[in-house]
Amino acid sequence: MTPGSLPSVLLAEATNPIIRWEWVVEEWDQIWQAIVEHITLTMLAMVLGLIVSAFLAAIALRYRWTMTPITATTSLIYTLPSVALFALLAPVFGNLSRWTAVLPLAGYTLLILVTNIVAGFQAVPPAVRDAADGMGMSRARRVWTVDLPLAVPFIITGIRIATVSTVGMVTVAAIIGQGGLGRLIFSGLRRAFWTPMTVGASLSIILALVVDAVILVIGLWLAPWQRRRKSASS
Amino acid sequence: MATSTQVGLIVIAALASIRQSQTAVPRDIGFFEWFFDADTWTGATGILASLQDTVILCAAVTLVAVAVSVPVAAILAHLRRAEVSSTWLVSISRAVPTFAIAALLVPWSLERGWGFEPFPIFTALLLLALVPIYLNTYTAIRQLPDGPVDAARALGYSERSILTRVEFALASSLIFSGIRVAAIQVVATEPIRAFLGGDGLGRYVRDGLGQNNSTLVIGGIVLIGGLAAITGLIFVALERLVLPNGVRRLSRQQGDISS
Repeated sequence: MTPGSLPSVLLAEATNPIIRWEWVVEEWDQIWQAIVEHITLTMLAMVLGLIVSAFLAAIALRYRWTMTPITATTSLIYTLPSVALFALLAPVFGNLSRWTAVLPLAGYTLLILVTNIVAGFQAVPPAVRDAADGMGMSRARRVWTVDLPLAVPFIITGIRIATVSTVGMVTVAAIIGQGGLGRLIFSGLRRAFWTPMTVGASLSIILALVVDAVILVIGLWLAPWQRRRKSASS
Repeated sequence: MATSTQVGLIVIAALASIRQSQTAVPRDIGFFEWFFDADTWTGATGILASLQDTVILCAAVTLVAVAVSVPVAAILAHLRRAEVSSTWLVSISRAVPTFAIAALLVPWSLERGWGFEPFPIFTALLLLALVPIYLNTYTAIRQLPDGPVDAARALGYSERSILTRVEFALASSLIFSGIRVAAIQVVATEPIRAFLGGDGLGRYVRDGLGQNNSTLVIGGIVLIGGLAAITGLIFVALERLVLPNGVRRLSRQQGDISS
């Protein structure tokens, strides 16, 4: 029985509140497992997405003419219908493989990540770059010790947006039997028992908000001058 | 408020009606045989009916989103208000959890007797579509050069005419590309409706996965992908038809910010 199909035996009880708290307490193990799976899928997709985007951004920054085709390709991937993409990969890797879910999820992050990484490096003031060259830094050393730290705010913003949207997208992966909290949504729908559905959907939204806040804090910690500059100017 | 027994009955009736409308295809029929069979296209579960469901919902969502977002964003941008809300929207624009929102609304909708669709999926897709249209309209008008607006003001245009005849006209290309982005996202996301008790083109993927039938899955992928591609092409054509040549040339010089 796959998640999307609806019940052959209808277990809809006469009283079926939107949420039943006893269930949440009793089935907490199952919920926790779904949360862990949700986070795992998100992180795998983000790591893969970041590796690929860093590579693409490096190419785009080194050879400017590749910027247009790279943006066009990543935008195209971004607009692919999620249901179709997950279903397309299911027979390639098999329903039980994590990669079926992780590859499309990583694909959807590329546009946001590449755009932000490139914007971050392009925003480095030329004067700073010249100063680094003038001090005799090698190209590699300048990129790692000067350009990259200055690009961090942009990159973190990209990671933040991409991660939050991935957390939302993971639920859709439940159509191929993956998808963490999305699985709870489907198991609730299948039995016309709303508690798992409500729990799965609201937890995935809460998770997205928490992740957003956490990455925001990490960004401020990595690039504290942002905050200082903001408070100085106000 | 309906009693709980009535709610239960409504749920059963709604689930049962969906149960009956499942698409079933023998497993040994290949994709082309299925796709080019007249029976595949006609009837209650046929491609034409599903396509109609999908197109009507997507068009309705996009139209409502345009009707709400464009005037609000245009007026706020003209008055130079709500700058903070706009930067905040940028960060959530790519992160609207459509699936979770729709799922949360399903029990609520059933309880009120509105059925599995269109209320939950319509609301979720609407939230998805509002953001890019609002953002593009706002930034397009906000970033216009002061010259034309000041000139119009000096010529005695009323504030309303400045907005509708000057700012709106100059910004129309970017506003249009916001609508295009929103429409494409709506079409690309709409198939999740089939997994939340609805119909539409997503049904073939849903039934195919449920019955472990690759013909249906492939058919669904082709139809969903095809519609998304056609939507993009329709907007390219619409852009040529609707926008004046001068505005198109202008926007090409300024560069497109949305895509």
